[in-house]
This record gives sequence, structure tokens and C-alpha cells, in this order.
Amino acid sequence: MLSYLVRRVGGMVVSTILVITITFLLLQLIPGDPATVMLGANATPEQAEQLRKTWGLDQPIPVQFARYFENFVRGDFGQSLFHRQPVLTIIRQRAETSVWLSALALIVALGIGIPAGILSSVKPNSLMDNSMLLVALAGASIPSFWLGLMLMTLIAGKLGWLPSSGFTSVLATGNLANLKNLILPAFSLGFVNAALLARTTRSSMLDVLNADYVTTARAKGLRQRSVIVKHALRNASIPILTVVSFTFASLLSGAVVTENVFALPGIGSLIVQSVLKRDYPVIQGIMLVVALLYVLINFVTDLVYAMLDPRIRYR
Amino acid sequence: MTKRTHSNKRDRDASDSRTYSVWKCLVPPGFRKFATGRRTTLAAILILAALILISALGPWIVPYDADKLKVTDRLQGPSGTHFFGTDNFGRDVFSRVIVGTRITLLLGLSISAFSLLVGLPVGAICGFYDRVGLVVMRLVDAMMAFPAIILALALMAIFGKPGVLNVILAVGMVWAPRMIRVVYSATLSLRENTYVEAAKALGMSSTRILLRHIAINLLSPVIVQATFTFAFSIMEVAALNFLGVGIPPYVASWGGMMNEGRTYIIRAPWIILFPGLFLATAVLAFNLLGDALRDRLDPKLRRTV
Repeated sequence: MLSYLVRRVGGMVVSTILVITITFLLLQLIPGDPATVMLGANATPEQAEQLRKTWGLDQPIPVQFARYFENFVRGDFGQSLFHRQPVLTIIRQRAETSVWLSALALIVALGIGIPAGILSSVKPNSLMDNSMLLVALAGASIPSFWLGLMLMTLIAGKLGWLPSSGFTSVLATGNLANLKNLILPAFSLGFVNAALLARTTRSSMLDVLNADYVTTARAKGLRQRSVIVKHALRNASIPILTVVSFTFASLLSGAVVTENVFALPGIGSLIVQSVLKRDYPVIQGIMLVVALLYVLINFVTDLVYAMLDPRIRYR
Repeated sequence: MTKRTHSNKRDRDASDSRTYSVWKCLVPPGFRKFATGRRTTLAAILILAALILISALGPWIVPYDADKLKVTDRLQGPSGTHFFGTDNFGRDVFSRVIVGTRITLLLGLSISAFSLLVGLPVGAICGFYDRVGLVVMRLVDAMMAFPAIILALALMAIFGKPGVLNVILAVGMVWAPRMIRVVYSATLSLRENTYVEAAKALGMSSTRILLRHIAINLLSPVIVQATFTFAFSIMEVAALNFLGVGIPPYVASWGGMMNEGRTYIIRAPWIILFPGLFLATAVLAFNLLGDALRDRLDPKLRRTV
């Protein structure tokens, strides 16, 4: 287990360095002079010169990279051009909404996807299975922002059951009822992701349910529920887990558009605003934070794999 | 289910051999078998054929000029005169949806082509030469750590301005690493085949093995992946347009229409409803086609995600 852990940690460090390198290099792709692009066409040459100096843009690229890396290690992600605040502070302010949204959406995705997949696999090719697959396929093809808009019109607009947009911090106000604002966004985001989860759960459960040890368990006279949960589901859980970690990443991605639809003050709406305003340091900061989060999730997933299936440790 | 489809197919084939049909003359038997094997596949192919036809004929079959403003007709609901209603400028939503089909399909095609042009050579070389693969695949994996839409957004910001070419590059660069991955793992397993060993033993050069033995066998997984790339990329392009950072807003596109309709969503939900329905249908058709192609071309892949 220890050597497995060391290898995984090593892999994570390499990925982290590469992610930082890519974020740095991407900004070098800005055509022309980055200082002028960032300041807009009306900037005076003195202003551009000033910005180049403070950002070290007049230095050679390897020097710039070393500086960028050093700043990263110190936790300095730069200053927002628009908000005049450190990037990390802004991201931290916006993180709460996105975390709540992703967590709730994950609950929706897991809550719909996994039971649906299990139900499908228990009686394959039944009416239940086929209709479930069709719903899953349709779900995977519906753009989450469109689903969000439609739910908003129907449930928030026509029926008036839930608020249509906005969100106030739960941590600051201590009011859990604020989460009501996230029900529609979380559902529209989670439903789309439930589809993939259901399909994977079904196919990996089907694989396992045909295995000899399941037949043995049945022959021993174990109850259906115990066969499904204890024998099949645990062994089917590895591919499912992969998809769950994918789902988390795709929730982070989907949240960008969903937050915009429902006017939620999260990371997703922050990056869109920053793109429209060409606030490059914020864009860079968000890319880094999200990608590193993804690397971390992958790392944790690998560890959980090893716990679920001891064979993996020796590979 | 499988049993039923088989017997269905046999019935259909039998009736086919008795009747003479144009369908049979025009369509090669392999494709016919593929298309009629499953009802969903046939549906997908018909939907895609319809979409291609719509995008080819678009500007000539629409009842109104898609860009013509007529403020007196603004925000009208669906009716006999305006099938899908009108938007806030009085433009005909039906005409705009029809006209927007072409740009959607063209962008999807270009992005798939881009990911293919990058992914096929890079993936194959990485899979064949271990040392190159070790380095490049690390980078590719790191690229995939960035969620698709966030990377696309950042690239659009870097490229500077909205535009068709920039969208193709931005979304293409998001999907190319995924294509590289698919080609890479396929190459890894292909090169273990006995015929590759035989070719090596015969003294064939690596380049020749790569081009003559590996490349041709990569076609199946690549076609499947390209179909899924198509589905994902049109969804992502729509999301970019919806966020206002894709192609310029004056070009009629499904995502752009949904963006413009947001302000009027309670009063005029049809501005958003119909482009979204078209988008979902198109994505569904490509997903179904991808599933069918995967089962048909590469049964081994069926079980993996």
C-alpha cells in the first residue's frame, strides 16, 4: 500500500506542475502584446510600460515562469485587473455558491443515476430497463442550461413554487433556507449527469451479475437484496466510481453555464464575467484552482479504488 | 430485446428480397443492415439526414428572412403565421432555427475534423513510440484536467474576439486531447497483435508498420470518437454562444437565440424552447449514431465508457 501511495503522490505532483505550466503557457498565446490587450486599445504607452514592469512581462519567458511558479507556491495568484483585489480572495468569496451547487447536484445525480442503473440491471431488457435507458439517453443529450431555463419558466415562473434566481450565502447568514434557491439549478445540472451514471451503473452491474460468485450467492439462498448490494454492487463499484469522479468534474464544468442561467454568484459566473472583461489573472486563477481540484479528486479516487479492490495496489 | 430485434430483422430482410425497392438499389447492403438493425439507429440516421437537408436548403425554405426585424410583430406566440413565434425584434423564430442549423453542423464538423487531424497522428505516434508517449501523454492528461467549458472559455478570452474560426480552435483544442487518448490506447493494444510482430520480423520499418497496419485499424475507434465529439462539440458551442462568447451575436445560432431570449423567458418562452429542442434532438441523434457505430465497428469497446 505504501509504494502505491508513493507512486500516486508522485503522479499528483507531476500533474500539478504540468497544470501550472499549461496555465502559464496558455496566457503566452495571447496574440500581440499582452499588456495592450489587457488594458484595451485606449491605453497610453506609459500605462502599458507600467503594467509590463509590475507583471514582469519585460523579462524573458523562463524568468517569468519561475516567478509565476514562485508566486503560486506562496499562494499569490495575482491581482484582478477589474476588481483590484487579489484573485484568490475573489475566488474564495465565490466558492461557497459553487460548492453548494456541485454538492447538491452530485446528490441529485447519484440519487437518480445509481438506483436507476441498478433497477435496470436487475431485470435487463424489461420495459422498465428500456424506458430507463431511453430517458437516460435523452437526459444525456439535453443541454443543462436549456433544461434549467425551461424549469425556471415552468416551476419558478408559471407555478411560482421555487425562487427563479439569485443566492445569498448560507455561511454568512446562517440561514439554511437559502438553499431553496439552489434546488432548481442543482436539479437541472444533476439530472443531465445522472444519465451517464445510470448507463455505467447498469452496464457494470450486468457484467457482475453474470459472474459465478453471484450465481453461487443465489444458490446459497441469499436474499435478492443481499446479492445485489453485498455481492454485485461492491464489485461493480469501480467503473461507477470512475464515472462519479468524472461526474464531479463535469459538474464543475456544467456549473459554469448553470450559474449563469440562475444568476448565482459562483465561480462559473465569475469566469464568464472575467472572460467578457478580459480579466486574465482571474481567468488564470480559476483555471488553476479548478484543474488542481480535478487532480486532487483523481488522486482521492485512486486511493478509494485501492481500498475497494486490494488487487489494484499491486499493479 | 436482442432476440426480438433479430427476428424483426429477419422478417424485414425476407420481405425485402421479395419486393423491389428504390431504397435497396441506392443503399449498399452493409449500410442497410446497419441502419435497419435497430429502430433507434434508423431514427438517428433519419434525423441527421433531415438536419443535413435543412442546413443545405435552409435559406431557401424559410418562410421569412431570418434577420428581418419587424418590431410590430415582436414577442408573438407560436401560430399559423409564425410556427415558433417571434422574438423581441419581431424576427421569425422558426426561420432563425432553420437557418441556424447550418452553422451548428458546420461547426460540429470542423471541430471533429480538427480533433481528428491532431488526435490521429499524435495519438498513434505516442502509442507506438514509448518514449514520446511517456512525455506527451502526461501533457495530454494534464490538459484534460481542465473542465471542457472552462478551457474553451479561457481560450476564447485568449484569442480575443468572437468568431467562427476562434470557436473551432477553442473547442477543437478542448476535444483534441480526448481524441489523442482514444487513439493512444487503441494503438497500444493494436501493436501487441501478431501481425505487427510478423511485420517487424519481416524487417518492415516502424513508419511503414504504423501507416499500413496500425493506421487502418485505428479507423473504427476514431470514427466512433469523432461522432461523440460532434455531439459534445455542438453542445459546447451552443453553451459558448449562450454565454455570449462564441460566434458574433448577429449570426443566427441556436445558443445565441437562447441567450437573446433569456430576458423574455417568462413572457416568450418559445424563443428558447425551440432552438433547445433542435439542439437536444441533434445531440441525441449523434449520441445514438455513436452508440450504434461503436457496437457495430468495435464490439470490444462496448463495455467501456
